[in-house]
Amino acid sequence: MSIKTLIAIIINSLIVFAVSILSITSYKQFSKVLDDRILLQLNSIKTLKKNQIENLIENEWNAFLNLEDGEHYLEDQKIKIPKNKIKTSGIYDFTPYHSEGKTTIGMVSIKNNKYTFGYIDYNKIKTILEERTGMGESGESYLVGTDFTMRSESRFYKDSIPSSIIVNTNGVKSAALGKQGKTIFKDYRGINVYSVYSLLTISNLKLILLSEIDESEVTIPLNNLKIKLIELTITIIFISIILSFFLIRIITNPINNMKESLKTMANGDYTQTIEFPKKSNEIKEMFTALANLKKSLQGAVEFSNELGKMNLNATHAPKSKNDLLGSSLIAMRDKLLEFRNKEKVNRILTKKLLFDGLEEERKRLSRELHDGIGPLLTSLKFYIENRIADTNQKKEMKEIVDTTISEIRLMSSALRPTSIDDFGVGPTLTNYVKSLENSININIKFEDSTNTGNSKISNNQGTNIFRICQELVNNSIKHAEAKNITITLSEFDNFVALFYFDDGKGFDVKKVTLGSGITNIYERVEICDGTIQIESNKHKTTFEIEIPLII
Amino acid sequence: MSKIKVIIADDHELFRNGLTELVKKQENIEVIGSVADGNQFLNIIKKNKEVDIVLLDITMPNMDGFDVLKKLKDIKSSIKPIIISMHNDGNYMAKCFKSGAYGYLLKNTDEKELNTAIETVYLGKKYFNTEVTEKMINFMSSNSVSEKIISKKETEVLMLISKGLTTKEIANQLFVSSRTIETHRANILKKLEVKNTAELIKKAVKIKLI
Repeated sequence: MSIKTLIAIIINSLIVFAVSILSITSYKQFSKVLDDRILLQLNSIKTLKKNQIENLIENEWNAFLNLEDGEHYLEDQKIKIPKNKIKTSGIYDFTPYHSEGKTTIGMVSIKNNKYTFGYIDYNKIKTILEERTGMGESGESYLVGTDFTMRSESRFYKDSIPSSIIVNTNGVKSAALGKQGKTIFKDYRGINVYSVYSLLTISNLKLILLSEIDESEVTIPLNNLKIKLIELTITIIFISIILSFFLIRIITNPINNMKESLKTMANGDYTQTIEFPKKSNEIKEMFTALANLKKSLQGAVEFSNELGKMNLNATHAPKSKNDLLGSSLIAMRDKLLEFRNKEKVNRILTKKLLFDGLEEERKRLSRELHDGIGPLLTSLKFYIENRIADTNQKKEMKEIVDTTISEIRLMSSALRPTSIDDFGVGPTLTNYVKSLENSININIKFEDSTNTGNSKISNNQGTNIFRICQELVNNSIKHAEAKNITITLSEFDNFVALFYFDDGKGFDVKKVTLGSGITNIYERVEICDGTIQIESNKHKTTFEIEIPLII
Repeated sequence: MSKIKVIIADDHELFRNGLTELVKKQENIEVIGSVADGNQFLNIIKKNKEVDIVLLDITMPNMDGFDVLKKLKDIKSSIKPIIISMHNDGNYMAKCFKSGAYGYLLKNTDEKELNTAIETVYLGKKYFNTEVTEKMINFMSSNSVSEKIISKKETEVLMLISKGLTTKEIANQLFVSSRTIETHRANILKKLEVKNTAELIKKAVKIKLI
């Protein structure tokens, strides 16, 4: 479930719940107040009518009593009053004795065993009952006899004789027991009504007075309210849904943006630079934190990239003590650095051993030629001198031997000048340059600024310097077609500087092919722990090599 | 007339034999000993004081020619050494000359030169042929050891500094790197006990370096 749906459900359920509770409560409250109001109103109407009826009957009774004898009302032919049942004067309900069931309130006066009868005009009662002020559309006040039949005319059944309508309702039952009350129940029509009832007792007359109003009429405003409330609820919910939609967008957009950012980052892309609107402080902080994380990761990625390229001088600052990634990367770099240094040391050592071996072999061979073959040839020359008699033959043979000796000397010197061990690199280079000047057509100068006699240049360093010079001269002659070469070797307290110049056509320093003499020079400088700087253009090439001396 | 008494010191027996045979042809020269290294030679001359000349090879096992020359100088021996070597580089010759050698011969020398050398040296003179002399002088001239406070190179640098050239210009002119010039300059300042260029020029003029 997405966060949008979740928030929508939570917000809207809350709103629906709140609005419903509010509506139901107010509805109930209203309904209760309405009930009370209606019943109170009905009660006052009923009380009024009760009083009116009581007054009416009282007046009628008094008027009846004041009548002179003989002035009494005529006995109605339709009413058969069982005189045996009437023992005392008073007012009676004679309706059951009316042949047509017409409501008849009778007054009886017994004087000296003489019965006088009078009747209260029903229309007078009817007028009171039909006074319907405050009774609304369906309101009705009516009288019920103790036999549970109606005494007054029903508004709803105008054609029926009242006494034929049975009213056996809860109100009537209660009232018959002398109780008065107000409540809602089904009336004689079977319709729910608000009803107020009480027993009317005057003399022997017992009538039940009910004032009622249809529930349906009473509840019209309630229903209106209900409809209004439902409308309101729906409107509020509708508005709240729309509002929540905006609210959700405000809340979830940054979260979604962050989600997208994090997703992208989780895929390993730390380079995204999308800017999002940030509305609240928390969101701003979140994005700042994310940006920091991104930056840190980017830093780590760049650092790893550098490490991947074996650029071990790259630096990286861990974000904090707990930045495990940063610290691990740094640890990795240090390990790699250590490894590379070790490897470099090993490589240089291997190279040094190789060069040393080579040099040793050359030295051996050179000495063998110089000190082994050479003396043998001179011995041969002496032999010729001593033993050959023929002068011409002697001369010729001696010349051949001399040439051979010279050749051997050159070969020996080319392999490795013994001078390096005996005199150092300075004098050796002086000799070397001298011999070159004699054999090739090139202007070559060597300036020896080494400390003659107490030079600190070791044999090994000297050999490397000599070989570097050989290589450089070789390149200048073979490839650069140089006319002038100047070599300067300057010895100082703690380093020796070799400066080499030629006016040849130069070469591209960056495109030195592997296996060429230059690589060899680089390697020799490296094993001497020295530095090299090359500058080359079409007219001039210089090499600056510095080798530290151990004091 | 007594014969010139010669000892041959060389580690190659064949060479010694050939040389001995060559020398023997001369009636006035007598080979009284033949040794394979410097130690043997020193042992012989301890017993036999009457030795005029030693034909000495440089490259020998145990004790080489240079050491023998030094030893002879140390004991102030009257024996006159003639170097007979395969090395034809000026620096070897110069070193031998400085160390007290009376002559320097290359091993492919001939009978005539050998005799001349022995006879010349026997008379107390030095013998160096044209080739050897030239090589020796060439070497020595390029390695002249200055007695001055500052070296030849440093003097050059000092001259150029006094002319107002920048380090870069001096470096270009002398075919060295700028750092080399800087170092030279620093060394000159140190040697002349001055702190800056102005003081340097003043002092250099004062002590007539420039």
